[in-house]
Amino acid sequence: MRYDAIVIGGGHNGLTCAAYLARAGRKTLVLERRHVLGGAAVTEEVFPGFKFSVCSYVVSLLRPEIIRDLDLPAHGLELLPLDGTFTPMLNGDYLWRMNDHNRSRQQIARHSRKDADAYDDYGMAMVEMGRFAKPILGMTPPDPMSLDPRGLLELLSVGKRFRSMRYHDKVNQVQLLTMSAVDFLDQWFETDALKATMSASGIIGTFLGVRSPGTAYVLLHHYMGEIDGAFRSWGLSRGGTGAVSNAIAGAARRLGAEIRTEAPVSKILTRGGRTTGVALESGDEIQADVVVSSVDPRLTFERFMDAKELPDEFLAGVRRYKYRGSSGKVNLALDALPEFTCLPGAGEHLRGAMSISPSIDYMERAYDQAKHGAFSERPYIDMVIPTLSDSSLAPPGKHVMSCFVQYAPYHLKPGDVWDDARREAFGDAVISAIAEHAPNIRNIIRHRQVLTPLDIERTFGLSEGNIFQGELSLEQLFFLRPVPGWAQYATPIDRLYMCGSATHPGGGIMGAPGKNAAEKILKDAKR
Amino acid sequence: MSARMRAHVTPPGTDPSTVVVIGAGVNGLVCATLLARGGRKVTVLDARDAPGGAAVTREIAPGFHVPAAAHDVGPLRADVARELKLEAHGLEWIPREAWMTALDGHGRAVTLWHDPAKAAESLRAFSAADADRWPAFMAARTKLGRVAASVFPHTPPSIDAPAPKELWRLLQTARQFRGLGATDGYRLLRWGPMPVADLVHEHVETPFVAAALAADGVLGSMLGPWSAGSGLLFLLHAANAVAGDPRMVWPKGGPGALTAALCRAADQAGVVIKGATRATHIAQQDDRGFAVHLENGDVQTGHAVVSAIDPKTTYALCDPMTLPAEVRWRARNYRTAGTLVKVNLALSALPVVPGADREQLATRLRIAPDVDAMERAFDEVKYGRWSPSPWLEVLIPSLVDDLLAPKGAHVMSIYAQYAPHTLRAGTWDHERPRLLDAVLTTLDRAMPGIRGMVVASEVLTPADLEREWGLAGGHIHHGELALDQLFTMRPLLGWSQYRTPIDGLWLCGAGTHPGLGLTGGSGANAAREILRAR
Repeated sequence: MRYDAIVIGGGHNGLTCAAYLARAGRKTLVLERRHVLGGAAVTEEVFPGFKFSVCSYVVSLLRPEIIRDLDLPAHGLELLPLDGTFTPMLNGDYLWRMNDHNRSRQQIARHSRKDADAYDDYGMAMVEMGRFAKPILGMTPPDPMSLDPRGLLELLSVGKRFRSMRYHDKVNQVQLLTMSAVDFLDQWFETDALKATMSASGIIGTFLGVRSPGTAYVLLHHYMGEIDGAFRSWGLSRGGTGAVSNAIAGAARRLGAEIRTEAPVSKILTRGGRTTGVALESGDEIQADVVVSSVDPRLTFERFMDAKELPDEFLAGVRRYKYRGSSGKVNLALDALPEFTCLPGAGEHLRGAMSISPSIDYMERAYDQAKHGAFSERPYIDMVIPTLSDSSLAPPGKHVMSCFVQYAPYHLKPGDVWDDARREAFGDAVISAIAEHAPNIRNIIRHRQVLTPLDIERTFGLSEGNIFQGELSLEQLFFLRPVPGWAQYATPIDRLYMCGSATHPGGGIMGAPGKNAAEKILKDAKR
Repeated sequence: MSARMRAHVTPPGTDPSTVVVIGAGVNGLVCATLLARGGRKVTVLDARDAPGGAAVTREIAPGFHVPAAAHDVGPLRADVARELKLEAHGLEWIPREAWMTALDGHGRAVTLWHDPAKAAESLRAFSAADADRWPAFMAARTKLGRVAASVFPHTPPSIDAPAPKELWRLLQTARQFRGLGATDGYRLLRWGPMPVADLVHEHVETPFVAAALAADGVLGSMLGPWSAGSGLLFLLHAANAVAGDPRMVWPKGGPGALTAALCRAADQAGVVIKGATRATHIAQQDDRGFAVHLENGDVQTGHAVVSAIDPKTTYALCDPMTLPAEVRWRARNYRTAGTLVKVNLALSALPVVPGADREQLATRLRIAPDVDAMERAFDEVKYGRWSPSPWLEVLIPSLVDDLLAPKGAHVMSIYAQYAPHTLRAGTWDHERPRLLDAVLTTLDRAMPGIRGMVVASEVLTPADLEREWGLAGGHIHHGELALDQLFTMRPLLGWSQYRTPIDGLWLCGAGTHPGLGLTGGSGANAAREILRAR
């Protein structure tokens, strides 16, 4: 059996790519190593009756055109809005921002009138920035070193749009790309917990602190998200993030793609600088015209290929590409809801994201520890309780809580390893950090799953546990992602492509890399 | 003759050729001299008694002369050096043949000579791999530095309406960039936003050498070696080394000798320099130019005002009503958090440094065990504390310059990082001696017994640098050299062409493009722009 295209990896990007290829009439096969589809966007029943979005857990950036093109709602996609962010503060008070701008404003005004006013200006500024940045997500990055006039024109058009912005927006745009989240927010706000919580979005999945230059850029992501056209809202997927993957898989199958699970690839086959298909661990070989890898560059080029098949300079770039996973995940099965000291009761605040980010120093100290090779003893935690809006995930009256934790560095200081004892110590630190604000947490935990970056690497095949398949740092973005000169989804091997989060525009359940790659493949085929 | 006639019909202080320069530092003096040579009547004001700004030599104990603030000057940008011909005004350089000597603080030394082959030999004792890679690394650094340096002599282009000439220059830079080829082209794009720790570790494995190199990326900044964007500073230093002669950074007699030569050149061009004239307010007098109000009650009038002091302080001297609200807000948020401490020592003898000979000691010494130690030192300053284990850059200029210390005795000049401008707990008066002690402890490991040689000492924290030199936040570069505060954005986007929103008020200090180091670059660029303006 010969395929037009084989996609390695059944994560949301691999599936998206396959769906688009199938839609164009290509005979497409997706090969997934695990027994479940979804990669990091997966729902699993970790404990009997309790289903978790084991790894990634919120949805916002999924490109609306993908939802439309693939008709994902018809395949079961339903996004449930996540209302606001709740931050317990060190002084016993709390900061609560909701999706309703006016209510957020009133809440912020409790802490600072000045900040409440600035919140309006800031929101407007960010919407402008988002408007500028959005088209870039759907773009195949032009190569600045090539003489391809189309790419240069595209760069020029970005430049033109930049020039036509108002002065205020131009400055913001530049600052967003280069400043630290804290420096950027300092210009507007004074409330420590507000800046700390907002800046937290800038560090997710990176090995950077809130004061590190380059972290402001990710603030923008929060203003680019959209659900059902509602600008800048975040949400959960009914049935967990696995339901996103399953919907895409459903669409792909409907369009004619074939999907195999428990079919781990062992090798990408090449002949004369051109790919011919893949070999499976089972020993089977499958031929195809085109191979698309949705796994990260380390696996694609160092595990599935021989060094001698690749140009030295490219391989050096692959080896230099930074992963440096920095986050962990703690999934809790709960008998009851957590009770915050600063705002008791099972109020609306539990329905949004709850953020343990009480101060900038708290965040930065967490980073300092990780930088020097230890997990944060008092980490930043982003928590959601999806069972409050989706009762299908737990037995009646019970809940699941997803805790995204930073920092847990993949690389520990010399002599330390991520063994069972350290995993449990890390889990304990997370529970303690939550208990500082919601002391009842200790008494309501029925089960606990702790994932270290090493676990994430082993379970999901994300090298060094980086949830974005490589750091979203400035020197690894756009036309530098993943390897300078190879940012256009193609590789030095003819007919071998990349379509994972390691390619532009990166991770976050956007689906854009998968779609962009499919478009690139189809365009190349026409030449 | 026509100038004379105009002078005759206009009231005093509005002579269109009169210019007041605020700040007699290197950039202020360079700008003033070039303006005077261009036909302007220039008066330079300086808050301090003596001119020079950061380039001053002073006596801290009888017979002991130290570079009080900056301990290297230049290299003067080649075009500036050519134009000013300071050698004719008595300037004499003592060439330094090495970029730096890295000390691990425990008896090991590597000297990175400007001659790459010689540097590689020094490296070979610790790592053959480093020695083998060194020449290529330096070649890349020079190549990339050259592209970066190509934008130094020019006024940054206007973003809104670039002039044809600006577009032409941009195109030339773009062509030069593409001429690098793919490998170096991408390297240039990667280096800027990278942490300098990653950058140096791609080329050097010996920990203390990597640290000494990484120091280029953090010197004077609110950055640690693991901070993204520190790679850019490394690149800018590389550009400076291409734009001028990197061996010419020590004037005989110290930085004050450069100032003396600059003053003579200024004097010859007709510039009047007035000391002890701190500007307190820059007032616009409708179409009659400016009145610069001084602390001593005097007023200096001029048709134009050129400020060589930092942009934040300059904007604060203006009447807020004359500035657009957005500019006021942006200027207030211009980042100037200084982190560098200057320590000056008078020593009774030459300290012994195990592992380094006299020739090596005569270079710039950098002491740090590895980049992680530097990063730990940086961690402190984020929380408003000074680092108990700082990394140091040390100069013993008396080794090459016998004008500085009594026979057999020496002076030492030290940059220590990190310390904040404002301590979160305690006062600098209380902490300053403790900081000196920490510096001496670090130093004593690398130079056993030095503590006993100290005859006199002086510690200048960022707060002291602000108080004594007027540097906002004590930032030695007049503002953070971050990607968003450079080139067309230095100091503010839209106001990077040495102009300000106040017509006739100009900037020419290190807070304008290209800034970084006492190269005279900003002053020369600004003078050209001012002379061109009508």
